[in-house]
Amino acid sequence: MGMTSASTTRLGWALSCPLSLYVHIPFCIRKCPYCAFYSVTASPIDIEGYIDALGQELEIWTSLAGGKIHAQTLYIGGGTPTVLTVKQWEKLILTLERYVDFMPFLEASVEANPGSLCADHIKLWRSWRITRASLGAQSLDDGELQWLRRPHSAYDVADSLAALVASGLDVSVDLLFGLPGQTIPGWHRTIRDCLCFGVRHMSIYELTLEENTPWGENPPKGLTEGYPLYRFAQWYLPKKGFLHYEIASFSLPGHWCRHNIAYWQGENFLGIGASAWGYLDGYRYGNARDIKMYGQKVSHGELAIVDEELLPFKQAAMESAVLSLRTMWGVCSRAFTRKWGWKYYRHFRSTWDRLPDDCKATLHGRYAFSPKGFRIANSLWEEFL
Amino acid sequence: MNNIRNFCIIAHVDHGKSTLADRLLEYTNTIDSRRMREQFLDSMDIERERGITIKLVPVRMMYRAKDGQEYILNLIDTPGHVDFSYEVSRSLAACEGALLVVDASQGVEAQTLANAYLAVDQGLEIIPVINKIDLPSAQPDEVLRQIEEIIGLDASQALLVSAKEGIGIPEVLEAIVKRIPPPKGDVNAPLQALIFDSVYDNYRGVISYVRLVNGSVKKGQNILFLATRKEYEVEEVGFFTPFMSPAEEIQAGEVGYVIANVKALLEARVGDTITDASKPADKPLPGYKHIKPVVFCGLFPVDRDDFPRLREAIEKLQLNDSALTFEPETSEALGFGFRCGFLGLLHMDITVERLKREFDIELVATAPNVAYEVVLTDGSIIEAHRPSDFPEPTKIEEIREPYIKLTIFLPSDYVGKAMKLCQDRRGEFVSLDYITPERVRLVYNLPLAEFIIDFHDRLKSITRGYASIDYEHVGYRKSNLVKVDILIHGEPVDAFSFICHRDNAYKRALSVIKKLKELIPRQLFEVAIQASIGSRVIARENVKPLRKNVLAKCYGGDVTRKRKLLEKQKEGKEKMKMIGKVQIPQEAFLAFLQADEED
Repeated sequence: MGMTSASTTRLGWALSCPLSLYVHIPFCIRKCPYCAFYSVTASPIDIEGYIDALGQELEIWTSLAGGKIHAQTLYIGGGTPTVLTVKQWEKLILTLERYVDFMPFLEASVEANPGSLCADHIKLWRSWRITRASLGAQSLDDGELQWLRRPHSAYDVADSLAALVASGLDVSVDLLFGLPGQTIPGWHRTIRDCLCFGVRHMSIYELTLEENTPWGENPPKGLTEGYPLYRFAQWYLPKKGFLHYEIASFSLPGHWCRHNIAYWQGENFLGIGASAWGYLDGYRYGNARDIKMYGQKVSHGELAIVDEELLPFKQAAMESAVLSLRTMWGVCSRAFTRKWGWKYYRHFRSTWDRLPDDCKATLHGRYAFSPKGFRIANSLWEEFL
Repeated sequence: MNNIRNFCIIAHVDHGKSTLADRLLEYTNTIDSRRMREQFLDSMDIERERGITIKLVPVRMMYRAKDGQEYILNLIDTPGHVDFSYEVSRSLAACEGALLVVDASQGVEAQTLANAYLAVDQGLEIIPVINKIDLPSAQPDEVLRQIEEIIGLDASQALLVSAKEGIGIPEVLEAIVKRIPPPKGDVNAPLQALIFDSVYDNYRGVISYVRLVNGSVKKGQNILFLATRKEYEVEEVGFFTPFMSPAEEIQAGEVGYVIANVKALLEARVGDTITDASKPADKPLPGYKHIKPVVFCGLFPVDRDDFPRLREAIEKLQLNDSALTFEPETSEALGFGFRCGFLGLLHMDITVERLKREFDIELVATAPNVAYEVVLTDGSIIEAHRPSDFPEPTKIEEIREPYIKLTIFLPSDYVGKAMKLCQDRRGEFVSLDYITPERVRLVYNLPLAEFIIDFHDRLKSITRGYASIDYEHVGYRKSNLVKVDILIHGEPVDAFSFICHRDNAYKRALSVIKKLKELIPRQLFEVAIQASIGSRVIARENVKPLRKNVLAKCYGGDVTRKRKLLEKQKEGKEKMKMIGKVQIPQEAFLAFLQADEED
């Protein structure tokens, strides 16, 4: 892209400041029919080459930054990072250590999938810097797992959860709702069992049929209306001490995911790997969604950016408001004004004031959604655009 | 004058009227075979496709009869549909005789009867013609019996023909000469010419088709239209051979055309009498009526930029169709368009079709409605074409609606269902006759408003197409009608209000608000949809407030995609119409405009 080099050169300062780092591992045992993230099934040779390519990309970023990248949070996601063998993980760790300076109080998360996660992974993570693991369980019901065509069983989930929690990592689970035949009692069982294992964080997603996925093209039948299930979680999890800190995320106080919060607060983050996205001082970029093309680019000393976006100020301000409103901390009037100015604060407020009262929870100059507001957030956000 | 015969052909749709006319033209060598084409007299494509006649085409044939004399036979074609029954009556008035064509396998149908009665009413000599006797299913004896028993005509002299095969055509011509009386009239009396049709020609202005009753007319003469009191100088007179050919003069008893530089059809109305301006006849010929449209609908261009073209097209059609009326109308859903008035459903269909075809304009036609008469408490009467024309209920003394007398011919097996349909449509039973043990004639008085909403389709479906219908307008009657307003979140929305009988108000209101409930998306707050008569709410539905709208995860890479989704979502909403605080999608207006009540 023509503007890439020019825009990225100007990012030196942002790159030299502490930021969040995302590393994408685009490999899976097999592709789930609903997943829109980029991943492929790959040979060991592909994986080795890909880790080398990650190093090459980091090399370019560090040269732009004028030194190592200072990461305050790290997130290694996928795909399925646990598809990498322990050997490959060691190589990945060495690569990261070469280019990244990890800050104190680092939050370092890794995504793990039951079935491919093994005890040696956990041992390695514990011996390195990993603090947090997010398990892609999706469900604790074998019927639902089969319907989702997940390559693991409910026993695998249980084993993985037990091992992760026992290791002392902060454990999160991803759960899907809105599946065929899903009932409140069944959903309750799944959530309760996860809590019993000692997870401190939970991300719940309604099954959405996204474009460019097999199910997006050929939607499966019989999906359950997700609303009551979501609402149940909103009622049940707070009773267990969990905070509904973001639309799709619940956690015990302090065990939220700082890395994800950085996205929603509009902070800078660097994304590396095929199809990874990053955001640096208003500039958003996306890497090539193809490991070959990605590898070729970075091996020639070029960034693999294929998408970029520099939003006009007003749009950026409103996007920032919408993202902040995903969280229970919402929009802070002072911080917003400092960053975007009075004009856009007033614009935000005039829209905010029009929203129905029962959707709002305002406290000490923070404008956030009430539980009901979270439920209809999509319609509320629209008002800000 | 003794050698002139003026006649017409009357028949039910599809009984072979146009084919018979073609054969007569051929046999008399009026048109050489090179220029002959199927259904010569139906000049419009739509007419040929639908097998109906809309515009009249008179034609003059020369025939040497068996008695050795040369006769002038003027065939005046009649439009075959009840919407045009006034035109039919005027063209019958221009004749002395009629060929009543009946299909040998189908027998007497509703329009056969109606047309035959009209002809009898005009005092015409009627010659029954049984057509299609070549068909294997032909039952001429049964049809002859029906002609005697149902219509009450002497069938002993009926002619058996097959227009398609050319069987019996000379006999038809002989019968015309022998049995139809020559015209009466006085060439020396003051001019009296009946206009039985007028057409508009882009170059020559209005061409009036006339039957001279008394006197004569020629080029240069000053003429007066008695109904409109307009005076013109005649530019040309002539005959139809069948193409217009100028002549010196037309005399009493003859059929021809008059061109007098008239610029608008409205000034040369069907049924009017032309007389000599210097020596006017003391009275017009009887039967002139000012015809008014009875069915209305909105016409809107699909592409809003087509509005000026639509206006032009309707204006052009109106030049040739004085029964068509229009006025501009704005719709919440459809933008700018016109509210047009028609003589009936067929007239409406044809007009819409012609606009689409001849002018290539894509159109949305709204569901048809009728014109109501509203008598106010101060005694004045206003005409209301749509709910918004209605004044407040307190100012209304009574509301009248147009009624029709509906005649249905159908196999006796379906009588129960047909009667149920008529009852459901507020019909009043008039009579039920068994024509034969298998065939029934059913007569109902029915509000026109109930008829124009898919009555015919419903009847066809419950009788499997075996019913034929005919109707005549029987004027306005007091009716217990109410205007039902629809309020959305407390705001009345004009586009949704409707008129209906008080007994049906609740049911219809409920179906309308249920439909709206489906179509209006959930909003951020609860929206009440109410139906009210005056200030009394008769039905209510609530659109529950939004509960949710896809909860999806959103991390780094999703942000752009998410925002685009939201923008798309928002765009969709911007297309909606804001009524007060509520967003209403176009589909809601559209669905309502085209709504057919499903039971």
